[in-house]
Amino acid sequence: MSEAWAGRDATAIIGTGNTDYSRASGRSVLTLATQASLAAIADAGLEPGDIDGIVRCDFDVVTHNDLANSLGITDLTFWGSNGPGGSAPSAMVGQAVGALMSGQARNVLVYRSMNGRSGFRLGKGRLQAASGPIGGNGTYEEFFVPYGLVSPGQMWAMLARRHMHEYGTTEDQLGAIAIACRDRANANPNAQMSDRPLTMDGYHASPVISSPLRLVDYCLETDGACAVVITTADRAADRPKNPVYISAVTQAVIPDMQGGLASPVLMRPDPMLLPSTQVAAKLYERSGMGPEDIDVAQFYDCFTITVLVQFEDYGFCKPGEGGPFAESGAIEPGGSLPINTSGGNLSDGYIHGMSHIVEGARQLRGESTSQVAGAETCLVTSGLPITTSGLILRKG
Amino acid sequence: MSDLPIPVTDDADTGGFWEASAEGVVRVRRCDACAAVLHLPKVYCHRCGSWDSSWQDVQPTGTLYTWTTTYRELRPGFTPPYTVVLVDLDDAPGARLVGYLPGEPDLRMGMAMRAEFEPRGDTTLVQWVPA
Repeated sequence: MSEAWAGRDATAIIGTGNTDYSRASGRSVLTLATQASLAAIADAGLEPGDIDGIVRCDFDVVTHNDLANSLGITDLTFWGSNGPGGSAPSAMVGQAVGALMSGQARNVLVYRSMNGRSGFRLGKGRLQAASGPIGGNGTYEEFFVPYGLVSPGQMWAMLARRHMHEYGTTEDQLGAIAIACRDRANANPNAQMSDRPLTMDGYHASPVISSPLRLVDYCLETDGACAVVITTADRAADRPKNPVYISAVTQAVIPDMQGGLASPVLMRPDPMLLPSTQVAAKLYERSGMGPEDIDVAQFYDCFTITVLVQFEDYGFCKPGEGGPFAESGAIEPGGSLPINTSGGNLSDGYIHGMSHIVEGARQLRGESTSQVAGAETCLVTSGLPITTSGLILRKG
Repeated sequence: MSDLPIPVTDDADTGGFWEASAEGVVRVRRCDACAAVLHLPKVYCHRCGSWDSSWQDVQPTGTLYTWTTTYRELRPGFTPPYTVVLVDLDDAPGARLVGYLPGEPDLRMGMAMRAEFEPRGDTTLVQWVPA
């Protein structure tokens, strides 16, 4: 048994906040970030002036000084950013943990804000507006974009087809994930899909976007923002609500990871080997827990297949058995691992993985709209497959 | 056709691939010391630490690893439906290249594929069709 990780339960989430989620916010990303941040700060029983650290996502239009200015923060001693994109949120929390444990900040605000539907739509690829020759400078996009491989959806579709080929994974198994997330969203008044039920017939009627993935295998596109406030465990004890301890956090890569952004992942020696395997091992080591100790999980769900492979990588089933696990009932309320209890990226809103942290904390405070009875621990994962990060949260 | 994106062909690490495709050849970067294929192309070998690597011609043949057919317009020039294939190179297993095929071709996992060379602007793309 290795020595306990120094960060285990040393810090805690003390406040959560989010905006409404919509297709057209009519507000700037700075306004959205400010609304979510003020909600998280108030939830923590603090004032904006108490915040002295800020961590952002590298894809966010809003910078630390934009937000500090907007909130009236004057004593900012730490800031950082992490990425790429959706792989960031858990890692952003990890930066906050580092800043708090080293005394560089006392209360750190972590946020993600985007007009993901009315503004820049990530689903068409990062280079959608690029003109002139494509690629070079370590991006390797010259090997993909000229062939029409431009979006993360196409990359995940190719991985899904390969998973189906190697393990017999079925469309119905992907559908079970889409429906589980939708059912949780139907119970969540703030979810974009709150009043839009989904059946298996509806799943099969959904149009194919990039085969074998259908529209409802894809996450939403959302205008909105989320934020959390994190502090040290001793300070957290003085806050109005129960703290949610960060039992473990880590980032990870795999050997032969490839450079660039999404598409180069397909050029790994084994494209099906994902860095979530490494995050899982490190999270369990750092927390002293195993998959059997996890009561509820918020899996990053840019696509249904992304969730299915994480069931395997985080040890909830054997390699190749993510499909049967998805339709076993385990991921439903009352099952061994209820997932994405606010509806996730697929049906709550796509805040690039930040809403998963908000929902993870709310589960362990008893505030979820799909509350898991007696939940003491929650796994939260962030985006893959380029790099990834994850958290294990524990009820205070 | 003018909407179709053109690759950068003069990058210090990847330019050799495009020089080869203009000659109708498929070429990969390989470490001279440990023979690891350095793909996507780069100079320094992360496996053995050698700076000595060079371009090597490979057979323009491969096997189909996976594919997807896209039914939405994601970028001007690529009219749906169209298909993107991912092909394992026979001479460099684990090194793969992508290709574009119009429409919804009849494909099978593991089927044999062969390279074709498509002029685009001043460049030449390596494309893949069923052998």
